[in-house]
Amino acid sequence: MRCILNTGRSVPQGTAVEHKLSDVYRSIASACFLNPVDLMILGIEDGDRVRVTTPAGYVILTARPAEGVARNECFVTIGPYANHIISSETQGTGMPDFKSQDADVEPTEEAVKSVGELMEAIGGVRP
Amino acid sequence: MIEQDVVCPFCGCLCDDLEIETDGARIVRVKNGCSLAEATFMNDTRLPAPIRRTEAGWEEISYDEAISETAEILREADRPLLYGWSSTHGETQSIGVHIAELIGAVIDNTSTVCHGPSILAIQEVGHPGCTLGQVKNRADVIIYWGCNPVEAHPRHMSRYTTFATGFFVPEAQRERTVIVVDTRRTDTTNIADEFVQIEHGGDYAVLSALRAIVRGKAHVIPASVAGVAKEQLVRIAEICKNAKFGAIFFGLGLTMSRGKYKNVRNAIELTDELSRHTKFVISPLRGHGNVYGSNEVFTWMTGYPFAVDFARGIAFYNPGETTAVDILRRGECDAALIVASDPGANFPRAAAAHLAKIPTVVIDPHVNATTALSRIHIPCTAAGIDAAGTAYRMDGIPIRLKKVIDRGYPDDAEILRKIYDRLDGGMGP
Repeated sequence: MRCILNTGRSVPQGTAVEHKLSDVYRSIASACFLNPVDLMILGIEDGDRVRVTTPAGYVILTARPAEGVARNECFVTIGPYANHIISSETQGTGMPDFKSQDADVEPTEEAVKSVGELMEAIGGVRP
Repeated sequence: MIEQDVVCPFCGCLCDDLEIETDGARIVRVKNGCSLAEATFMNDTRLPAPIRRTEAGWEEISYDEAISETAEILREADRPLLYGWSSTHGETQSIGVHIAELIGAVIDNTSTVCHGPSILAIQEVGHPGCTLGQVKNRADVIIYWGCNPVEAHPRHMSRYTTFATGFFVPEAQRERTVIVVDTRRTDTTNIADEFVQIEHGGDYAVLSALRAIVRGKAHVIPASVAGVAKEQLVRIAEICKNAKFGAIFFGLGLTMSRGKYKNVRNAIELTDELSRHTKFVISPLRGHGNVYGSNEVFTWMTGYPFAVDFARGIAFYNPGETTAVDILRRGECDAALIVASDPGANFPRAAAAHLAKIPTVVIDPHVNATTALSRIHIPCTAAGIDAAGTAYRMDGIPIRLKKVIDRGYPDDAEILRKIYDRLDGGMGP
């Protein structure tokens, strides 16, 4: 399903923001909020995993229903999961397209990685 | 012990009415704060000492060793990047700028990925703003555009707008009209008197339509603009024109979506248009506690608010070229010093990945995603918790952050001063 990937802050994200390597942060930052109708069309339920793909790559997220999210939009809180698939192009402004990245969303059985694993995927080592 | 009037350093609201109970070096209770404030003060876990990445993993090192090695990394770099600065106090930011000038580095702050585009717009057309006190006491129409204060600035509405009793607005909830513009329904839009739901990327068109209507050209507007009915736009324009005092607050919904700084410019020009009928002001909702301060400190020291490049020996500013994401994407910098921020989590992957390829040093009270990409992490005080200093609220008001407890960590300003001292002498752009 073609979607626009939108990102933003949330209170849970803000309360866990200084504990990025924790399981609590992982579950908050890896939640992918979709309109319930889109969840139905994808044939998945709350808590199932989705593979979200953009030209920059893909990431596995946990689907969550949110009635406020428009159809064909997915909302992920700002953080390493969303940024794993956001292009670093800034069109000469310094600002990437954090709120308007075209993405493909599809069901998957793959597991959600931890923040540490995401950092290791780009050459990091967990402290 | 109970400390009164404590300032929360988390978001740009810098709420200064917290009551904090301490027991020695421990904070045991936070009163008046939102849940973000409580988490900031109560869940403050840090590394016990600096750590260094080796072939075998991570090892603890002394502060002296960490500082010497950081200075050495910066000394040997041809194009160092100094990034972050928004969650610490002005005193640290100013030493950062001094180091950048000394070694010919690029220094950028987190506004580069939040309200940088707002600054570009303000540089084009100015900033008709005011302090939050004016908004609280006078504004009878509030517009939140592309932002979600309930989640990102939880006390903004109760301290300054929707629910705040003001001198000329004694019955806030009855007398203030709140308009929220967003692409999705949120807890903020649920409180609004008028919720304007626009299609993704439609901000510029809707702002232009409102400008035309306020100018008396409603007849040129089609029946629907970016998913918004013309009737609603005309109604909103009337509410705004009939306001005694209107205040627009905007967020990253304008700066990060298609159009970026041009969206903000259009919003400022709508404010200008409305001010021909009544009094209107506009301001960004700033995210990090002292991100406004990083713009202030950079500007008064270098002339530019972010993305300052000292490679030429003078301050040079060209967003899109000297901005942190672009420098990292191009793989241009050969060392990085990250202070009080987390680009590992907040930059697109391709930009963050470059940090792991070069010697990166993190100076931050907390372990974060960038720690994993770094070579050295030096823990320090957290401004507003165990360090005092100056921070700027989102409306440009400087507020003194208090030191509530002492946890025995060195201040990040002290660490940077030592790095500067080790670099000074023979160095220079």
